[in-house]
Amino acid sequence: MVFPGVVALDNVDFSIGAGEVHALTGENGSGKSTLARVINGTVTPAAGTIYVDGEPTVIANPRQGLDLGIVNISQELTLAQTLSVGENIFLGRLPTNGGRINWAKLRRDSREVLERIGVEVSESAIVGGLNVELQQMVEICRAFSSDARLLILDEATSSLSEAATRRLLQLVAEQRAQGVAVLMISHRMPELYAAASIATVLRDGKLVGTAPLPETTEKKLVSMMVGRELEDYYNKRQVAQGDCVLEVDDLTSVDGVLRPTSLRVNRGEIVGVAGLVGSGKAELGLALGGAVACDGRVVVAGREVSLGDPRKAIAGGVGFVPDDRKRSALLPNRSVGENFSLAWVKRLSRRGLLNLRDERKKVSEAIRRYRVITASAASVITTLSGGNQQKVVLGRTFERDVDVLVLSEPTRGVDVGAKSEIYDLLQTAAEGGAGIVLISSELPELLGIADRIVVFYGGEIKAEFKGRDMQEEAIAHVAVTGSSDAPEQTPQKGT
Amino acid sequence: MGALERLELGRYAGVVVALIVVAAALTITQSTFLTWDNMKNIIGANSVILILALGATFVVITAGIDLSTASLMTACSMMLAIAFKSGWGLVPAVLLALAFGAAGGFGNGFLIAKAKISFLAVTLGALSIWQSFALVVQEGQTVSVFSDKAFGPIHNLVTNSIGPIPLLLIFDIILLLLAGGLLRYTTFGRSLFAIGSNEEAARLSGINVSAILIGVYTIAGLAAGLACLVSVGRLTAGSPTPDPNLLLTVLAAVLIGGTSFSGGVGGVFGTVIGVIFLGVVQNGLTLSNVSSFWQGIVSGSILIIAVGLGVLRDRGWSLRRARGASAAVTEGPVR
Repeated sequence: MVFPGVVALDNVDFSIGAGEVHALTGENGSGKSTLARVINGTVTPAAGTIYVDGEPTVIANPRQGLDLGIVNISQELTLAQTLSVGENIFLGRLPTNGGRINWAKLRRDSREVLERIGVEVSESAIVGGLNVELQQMVEICRAFSSDARLLILDEATSSLSEAATRRLLQLVAEQRAQGVAVLMISHRMPELYAAASIATVLRDGKLVGTAPLPETTEKKLVSMMVGRELEDYYNKRQVAQGDCVLEVDDLTSVDGVLRPTSLRVNRGEIVGVAGLVGSGKAELGLALGGAVACDGRVVVAGREVSLGDPRKAIAGGVGFVPDDRKRSALLPNRSVGENFSLAWVKRLSRRGLLNLRDERKKVSEAIRRYRVITASAASVITTLSGGNQQKVVLGRTFERDVDVLVLSEPTRGVDVGAKSEIYDLLQTAAEGGAGIVLISSELPELLGIADRIVVFYGGEIKAEFKGRDMQEEAIAHVAVTGSSDAPEQTPQKGT
Repeated sequence: MGALERLELGRYAGVVVALIVVAAALTITQSTFLTWDNMKNIIGANSVILILALGATFVVITAGIDLSTASLMTACSMMLAIAFKSGWGLVPAVLLALAFGAAGGFGNGFLIAKAKISFLAVTLGALSIWQSFALVVQEGQTVSVFSDKAFGPIHNLVTNSIGPIPLLLIFDIILLLLAGGLLRYTTFGRSLFAIGSNEEAARLSGINVSAILIGVYTIAGLAAGLACLVSVGRLTAGSPTPDPNLLLTVLAAVLIGGTSFSGGVGGVFGTVIGVIFLGVVQNGLTLSNVSSFWQGIVSGSILIIAVGLGVLRDRGWSLRRARGASAAVTEGPVR
């Protein structure tokens, strides 16, 4: 499958047999989900053939996939939020009596499914009112109540508690015993070792290899996942560190995603924050930027900053760049100039009146300084490439007098050239005396420019790496397992 | 930013062209169209619409909508007329009407920004409340103020002229310039566009979103108070039953003027063009002796065509944009 400009999957061979639990693993963006979506018919491959029971088969859409018995449970929920649990479980196959829905049978059947899977929720509850874990369980009920021959679990455990995960793994074992093939996509090692008998590793859309489980050690598997050579477009410069500029003590988000977290950052220091999706690293950024309600203590340059209000965070000297550019940073139908000056309106105005001449001057300086490629300051921001949009978002924050920069995924959706420029800008900001918290899902990037890396797992910092100890495999190991113990002994394989 | 102004002008350039065509056609076919008296007619008949539409433009730019504006104006009219009737002086009576409008708008804004109730629910409820309120205060009776002394200056506002220029036109222009200036030269105006374009980005950039939203709805309420001066002046009375088409005409003018209901785009100058266009078309129908029953069909069709053309243009624009963007990706790093 070739996405515009990016090969998501490149000549991958893959096979799975009845009664086999097959793990598919790899880093973010390695092509795991794309492979699953090719198999269930969501994505049509540019080249290659799918054989089902030895017969070449075209799976043009998810409906055909379902008809073949291919059922996909993905991490993104596909439930109808306003319908009941029962209706969702049997969505698309509601029991009918000559065209009329047989509600009694629907209730009975769904109660039976919920009991069998062990989900404690009423079949008439509205799905939108359930928490994410229960919603995921409803999705699992739907998949496990259909006559699946191939069950794809695409990061299905990412929003499940440990108990629910154990139950899911039990169900997987039952399915396998009944001859169902199960494809488990995950980068959580304990689960893979508990359930799967074989693992296929992808990296950058290419097949790295297939390894038997549990014979292959966790260490070996992780190195297969990450073992790429770092390209040197980071140009790490040595910046002298100054005093401590950011003190975070027991910062906790009210929703509980971020558990008590403490952190120190010096002037001129770039602290990398690593972790998987859902590990709490994104919430650290939101908390420091004042975007979510939280408790704890944040001190910037000696002054305590009130939490939970972006305006107070800004006044306290924190510059925050959110991870989702489109959703929370860009003004999509406004000009490049206005997108720059969004963060400066206060400084560019006196008694509420904007100084448009100053604004023009500052904007054209910023366009030059941040090397934004645009026809003019008046061009609508969305006519620019992702990298240039990001340079505007970063630039407007850097231009503010900030003591601390909190950047969440600053290079997401940005091409290689612009990435390199962004790393340069980041280091220039560090040289200017800012303390930088760089939150990123790209380990190579953190290894490339961070002075120190903290790793999140389960909402808290589990390990810290510095200097020589900043090794990709060790960091990935903590991010995946939550433990920094050397992964010598292999976990026991479950039943 | 000259180029920036062109960007905004582009949004209603089509309406300007259509306006010129209609005006030219009317000039040729109707000898009375291009007379100063007729122009004064158009100004008089559309000032209430214009003032409400200026307020509505602010709200629509923030991706909201104020459905209560016309009925709040009616309630303000009753308050003004009752104040005159009760022997209040000009200044207190006018201040009462303006404060009443502003307070009504503030109420909307507070419920929307602080209590987080949907703007549709709040302003639809307010529409109903003020409509009923206007009837309740005098049990549905029209309050004539023609003979009240303090009413004189208000009457003069809508009837007198300085030389050939109607006072009302000057009043309209002052309000237009104030509104335009507020949008363009103040942090408040800039914040409106930011909130309408992406509320979350505005919030994270330190804009006090709820304060700005309250301000916006208060301005829309103030516009209702200002519009009631013109309405009472023209009717020489406070009428509890407004023109049922008023709200729709106001919103249509804002839309035709290129302010997008999805927020973040638009301006009061486009709104003026929208008001003039609808006013001229209506005037033309009257002059051409077309039954007034037809006017709804004509202005409704114009609204759909004008907004439809806007959608087409935006879609073409975003298609081009998407193509440009994917080209940029496949070509690799853009330096």
